[in-house]
Amino acid sequence: MSDSVIRAQSLTRSIGGRTVLRDFTVDVPAGQVIGLVGKNGAGKSTLFDLLLGFALPTSGQSSVFGVDSKALTAAAKARIGFVPQSDELVGLLTGTQQLGLIASLHPGWDPSLIDRLSREWEVPLDRRINTLSGGERQKLSTLCALGHKPDLLVLDEPAASLDPVARRRFMQEILAIAGDFTRTLLYASHIVGDLERVASHIWVLRQGSLVWQGELDQLKESIVRVHVRADHDLDRNLRLPNQLQGRVQGRTADFTVSDWTDAQLAPLRADLNAQVEVEPLELEEIFLALHA
Amino acid sequence: MFTLHPQSGVPIYRQLVDQIRRLISGGQLQPGAELPSVRDLAVTHAVNPMTVSKAYALLEAEGLLQRNRGKPMTVAAGRKAQTSLAQRIKQLEPQAAPLVTAARQLEITERDLTALIKRTWEQQDE
Repeated sequence: MSDSVIRAQSLTRSIGGRTVLRDFTVDVPAGQVIGLVGKNGAGKSTLFDLLLGFALPTSGQSSVFGVDSKALTAAAKARIGFVPQSDELVGLLTGTQQLGLIASLHPGWDPSLIDRLSREWEVPLDRRINTLSGGERQKLSTLCALGHKPDLLVLDEPAASLDPVARRRFMQEILAIAGDFTRTLLYASHIVGDLERVASHIWVLRQGSLVWQGELDQLKESIVRVHVRADHDLDRNLRLPNQLQGRVQGRTADFTVSDWTDAQLAPLRADLNAQVEVEPLELEEIFLALHA
Repeated sequence: MFTLHPQSGVPIYRQLVDQIRRLISGGQLQPGAELPSVRDLAVTHAVNPMTVSKAYALLEAEGLLQRNRGKPMTVAAGRKAQTSLAQRIKQLEPQAAPLVTAARQLEITERDLTALIKRTWEQQDE
């Protein structure tokens, strides 16, 4: 049990009668890169606040490194790095001063790592933070969370302001961190294509509920589009098992289904007396289908 | 060495497994050839290391790759450099199905499709 990096049991939070996170239960071993997806207001930031002890649950419980989120110890906090959606940098400081301030709070700070990354990511450390662009601030904010080499890195939209080149470099660094399978990343982003690259696991939050959790590969193999082409008009009310979306038009039909296995293919062809092809879907399509 | 399309819908580990299998059956990857480390491959292509590691593990289980302690994975020794024609054709089948589907949707006949493949083949020879 103490091997879990994150554990949550029926974690729930309501604000003013509205439930923003409902019955959230997970158990995360070390080494996963979890992509957290959900529409605006789905509960992503609330989840981070609860896990990291910035907010209290209405019911349920969570822990990080075996320590209750409500009372995280200094030792547990020292193993966590957090990049919030809006940075908490001090505008009047220079990047160097800000990093120095953060470094002074962390005994395990690695200056050589930060030197290398600030060069590679082209972060202008000598300028005052209030003169930096959104992307530069975002990079600096990420550096602040990386310097103590956290075992758990929590990222809330870390790359939204980065250009494609900077985003790719950022992701490569994330993957280098994940490369030894001992550190854990929880990464929320609307840039679903990025998560498709870096994530090993995906959590889908919808209106405060965790509607899918598991391996990304498994998600992509289970939610697929099925194309049907027949020599005869298809039943307009045709539905497939576990259908998320469907459209029948004359002799052709397209369905998006969950829980797909290739064993379903042959019986389906026979049943419908039609050609049936299966198309794998990119994560963004899967996300849209889960919200249809 | 590999062409990965994270957004193609096909899980990355499957893309890797298919490509490595093809390279080995085609003889481009000879027995003893070293594969990039999980970490290198993951960082270079900006894809998750777990999915790379899964691909290697599957190929190892099939006996195509060999794990060497503290050293890079290699193409397993003792395998014939090239697998039989039937096996290689089988590997191409997944590529053939979508092509035929697309041709049918465009109402292209079998003969015209065959002609197209022949033409493309000849162009690549030039």
